[in-house]
Amino acid sequence: MFRAPLTKVIQGRFGSPTHGITSKAIRSSAALSQTPAKAPEKIEVFVDDVSVKVLPGTTVLQACAVAGVEIPRFCYHERLSVAGNCRMCLVEVEKSPKPVAACAMPVMKGWRIKTNSEMTRKAREGVMEFLLMNHPLDCPICDQGGECDLQDQAMAFGSDRSRFTDINHTGKRAVEDKNFGPLVKGIMTRCIHCTRCVRFACEVAGVEDLGTTGRGNDMQIGTYVEKLFLSELSGNVIDLCPVGALTSKPYSFVARPWEIRKVSSIDVLDAVGSNIVVSTRTNEVLRIVPRENEDINEEWLADKSRFACDGLKRQRLVAPMVRMPNGELQAVEWEGALISVAKAIKDAKGAVAAIAGQLVDVESLVALKDLLNRNGGETLCTEQNFNVKGSGSDLRSNYVCNTTIADLEQADAVLLIGTNPRYEAPLINTRLRKSYINNEMDIASIGPKIDLSYNHQNLGEDAGLISQVCNGGHPFSKVLENAKKPAIVLGANVLERPDAAGIHTTVASYCKKLNKQGWNAFNVLQNNAGQTGALDVGYQPGTQAALKAQPKVLILLGADGGKVDREKLPKDCYVIYIGHHGDNGASIADAVLPGAAYTEKQAIYVNTEGRAQQTLAAVSPPGMAREDWKILRALSEILGTPLPYDNLDDLRNRIEDIAPHLVRFGKLESSTFGNLTEQLATSKSIENTKIDVKQKKLREYFMTDPISRASPTMARCVREVSGEEAKEESQRQAAC
Amino acid sequence: MAKYLGLDRLGKIFQIIRQSGGIKNAYMKLYRFDDLKVGTLVGTDKYGNRYYENPYYFYGRNRWVEYADHLNLEYDGSQIPADWYGWMHYKTDLPPIRDGSRPKYKWMADHSENLSGTKEQYMPYSTTPPKVQAWDPKKSK
Amino acid sequence: MSFVRQILAKTPQGVHWAKTVSNSSRCMSSVGSRDAPPIDVSQVIAQPEELERKRKLSGAITVPTKVDLSPISGVPEEHVKTRRVCIHLPPKNAMQSGTDNLNHWVIEFDNRERWENPLMGWTSTGDPLSNMEVTFGSKEEAIEHCERNGWRWFIDAEEKPKVERVKNYGLNFHWNRRTRTSTK
Repeated sequence: MFRAPLTKVIQGRFGSPTHGITSKAIRSSAALSQTPAKAPEKIEVFVDDVSVKVLPGTTVLQACAVAGVEIPRFCYHERLSVAGNCRMCLVEVEKSPKPVAACAMPVMKGWRIKTNSEMTRKAREGVMEFLLMNHPLDCPICDQGGECDLQDQAMAFGSDRSRFTDINHTGKRAVEDKNFGPLVKGIMTRCIHCTRCVRFACEVAGVEDLGTTGRGNDMQIGTYVEKLFLSELSGNVIDLCPVGALTSKPYSFVARPWEIRKVSSIDVLDAVGSNIVVSTRTNEVLRIVPRENEDINEEWLADKSRFACDGLKRQRLVAPMVRMPNGELQAVEWEGALISVAKAIKDAKGAVAAIAGQLVDVESLVALKDLLNRNGGETLCTEQNFNVKGSGSDLRSNYVCNTTIADLEQADAVLLIGTNPRYEAPLINTRLRKSYINNEMDIASIGPKIDLSYNHQNLGEDAGLISQVCNGGHPFSKVLENAKKPAIVLGANVLERPDAAGIHTTVASYCKKLNKQGWNAFNVLQNNAGQTGALDVGYQPGTQAALKAQPKVLILLGADGGKVDREKLPKDCYVIYIGHHGDNGASIADAVLPGAAYTEKQAIYVNTEGRAQQTLAAVSPPGMAREDWKILRALSEILGTPLPYDNLDDLRNRIEDIAPHLVRFGKLESSTFGNLTEQLATSKSIENTKIDVKQKKLREYFMTDPISRASPTMARCVREVSGEEAKEESQRQAAC
Repeated sequence: MAKYLGLDRLGKIFQIIRQSGGIKNAYMKLYRFDDLKVGTLVGTDKYGNRYYENPYYFYGRNRWVEYADHLNLEYDGSQIPADWYGWMHYKTDLPPIRDGSRPKYKWMADHSENLSGTKEQYMPYSTTPPKVQAWDPKKSK
Repeated sequence: MSFVRQILAKTPQGVHWAKTVSNSSRCMSSVGSRDAPPIDVSQVIAQPEELERKRKLSGAITVPTKVDLSPISGVPEEHVKTRRVCIHLPPKNAMQSGTDNLNHWVIEFDNRERWENPLMGWTSTGDPLSNMEVTFGSKEEAIEHCERNGWRWFIDAEEKPKVERVKNYGLNFHWNRRTRTSTK
């Protein structure tokens, strides 16, 4: 995979030649399906006398971007609606008496836009002077300093002197600070009223809490009444804020942007696989910010993914531990730990089982599978259950989001079954909300009544409704069948039910009816980052198999969900935990081998739509902790069955042999054989019991995995959010 | 004539051996200090080091110390206390025992030798808090 | 001037124009004389194969061999054989709207172990390449540089075409669509 010949790369192929061709074909077909049938004729405009052709309705600012000229802006944001209130984007258009606001004005044919003229320059300097007149000069103590749009644009487009001569500081505007919650710090004097945060809250997050009061000099951004900004996406307003009015509370006064090293990586705290940038300094993860990826997270990031990074520094396993005869875990050297583990595995004579947890990467999954298979063990499971009957997890299309995350925003009718995407996958919920706003999408849910941040129809909690909808007997079936792009999203937790097989096959066969050309309606929304990868490399879902085998040695690969405990295992079972946090898994283990967290290794993760992506190592693992696959490789050496890979490249080659799509990073392979699901179906019976979702309220969102459970920031979120939610509840009851 | 033949040196050897207290003791002294000298005992400090002087030897070698016997071979220049240091380095010709003008206060610290290379040596340690808090299996229960 | 360069780099017309500008000096001299070019006798009487040979000998010869600088570059073997280079486009800072520094390719080496210095608690690294970031105009140049130095490389970015969005101020006030904003 590495060191591909130059010619290959130039042709746009990265893996082996065949892979390159297929992936190329897939991408081009996807592009075709997205373009409208008849493209409207482009019109010609001139930006600084350079001609560009743009679609009608394009704004002046976008036309300039096509020409490679960047217009300064504060209020305008690509992914938010046009507000046009900062006036920074004023440009001159020939024959127009006044400068026009580039972000809101659509171009007309033959317009000559002057982005560098005297009038434009004066307009910008004037706007900047007004902004700076009421902006405090506190850059040295402002967290935004160094990555502040106002700083940048004042340097580039502002005047070199100010006419603000109020040396007694009686005239500068000052605004009282507001409490937006445990994550966002508001220093409202710095606010320049771009209303990006207001628009983000209303349009993307769907929480109409933020707004403006007053006008002119008295305008303020706030929550009208004193309350917290309760959203699972609240962290994004920190990024959106072009000044330092909204900054990160956990990151306040921690570091300056020029001190930090940035590493592009992937988030694993939900199954979306958001692209992130990990900022580190002195071998410490300081913050996580989103990285743009149109196909996955656009440029947003959920709060857990963004703020749980301080959990990487708490409750860490830093040394191998072995349970001593007195029943206590004691730190030992690697050699001793590996020898005692190897001895236990050898003594088990094949009665070895493994359970993979929530945050495991593909490399360690493959290494563990190879290791166990060489030592006579065949029982490899994931901690999270899934339907195993019928085609179960054998077909890839049965457990991924086939519609793909990006395409979900084109859907016009969606049925959610037993899932709360708002908390299980916040960035998929933003896609749904986008479609709700722009496509007039109809959404219905089967499950408990939840707040999805947009209006939706709750069909009820009863599981029997699923078969009712899928038989076409329910009113919502008509909506789905009449829709151009319908989609059904099954929550991963629904498929843990005993009647999962029935639900799975019923929905899958109904989806087959709904499928259109180039559109697959069947989606399973995973909520564990490791699950799709584990199923891809052939792990069995569910812990039953491992517990039924009554193994003598049980290896927990980051299994912290608490689904395995000592009572369910045979008494003399030797439990080995490999992972990075001291949580449920490590506390029941006889031997603990410290692994690396997702910011500490270069590893592959597969997201819920089946897209393989790799994290890069931002820091080194703490103490004696090592990368998980290296631990397994060392263990195999002691066991006398060495694994045939010594470095990451060899291991990746091995992964490519098993599942070639797992090393084609960022690309999406369409799942085939979806039609077989029905033929392999066993039963369609669904029990008439209630469907539940785990995360109903925001307070239940913050702590779902060992990293976020160890995070003090997440603990504070839970505390403050549950207080706020209880307060709201009591107010609501008092009002009734 | 005796000087010419070097007999006076032979005499000196006998003198040194006599002052050292016999052949065995002279040998021990030679073994410990790689040197045998004869001189007047100027004084003894509180740690048992004996200070000698003999103007017969050249300047720079005419004042010396014989470290306390219990130190054996573990002696070191830093074991000379500060008051004798001045005399040893010709800062003063008045040895501290004869110099009454030296200040003596209760609060003056006792002399301490350089402990580098021994068990008691100073080891630098990080004063920054640990960046990663390790899991404690006992606490979680 | 940087602005002109920016435009020249972005539009195909601009590139064409730039070429004409750079060629203009040569064109001028030839346009000045309207006479027929002088005839070189040796060229006219030469055999076609001889002409072909001459043409081949003129100009630079490029030999397509793999260049490996690692034995003479002075880089320790450890840092040639065990390092993995990431070739990527720098991601846009989520906090800033400027995009000027995002259009070049960067090579970066894998992160190595850092440790805490016991005296002051400062962080040390033994990795001489930890601060090395080299920028390139194109992916191919970066790959070639890595190949020449014998580093293993991988590409961690792809150039995706920018999505064209239609932005409309009027949608905020649409009478029956959900894009209507209630608060501001």
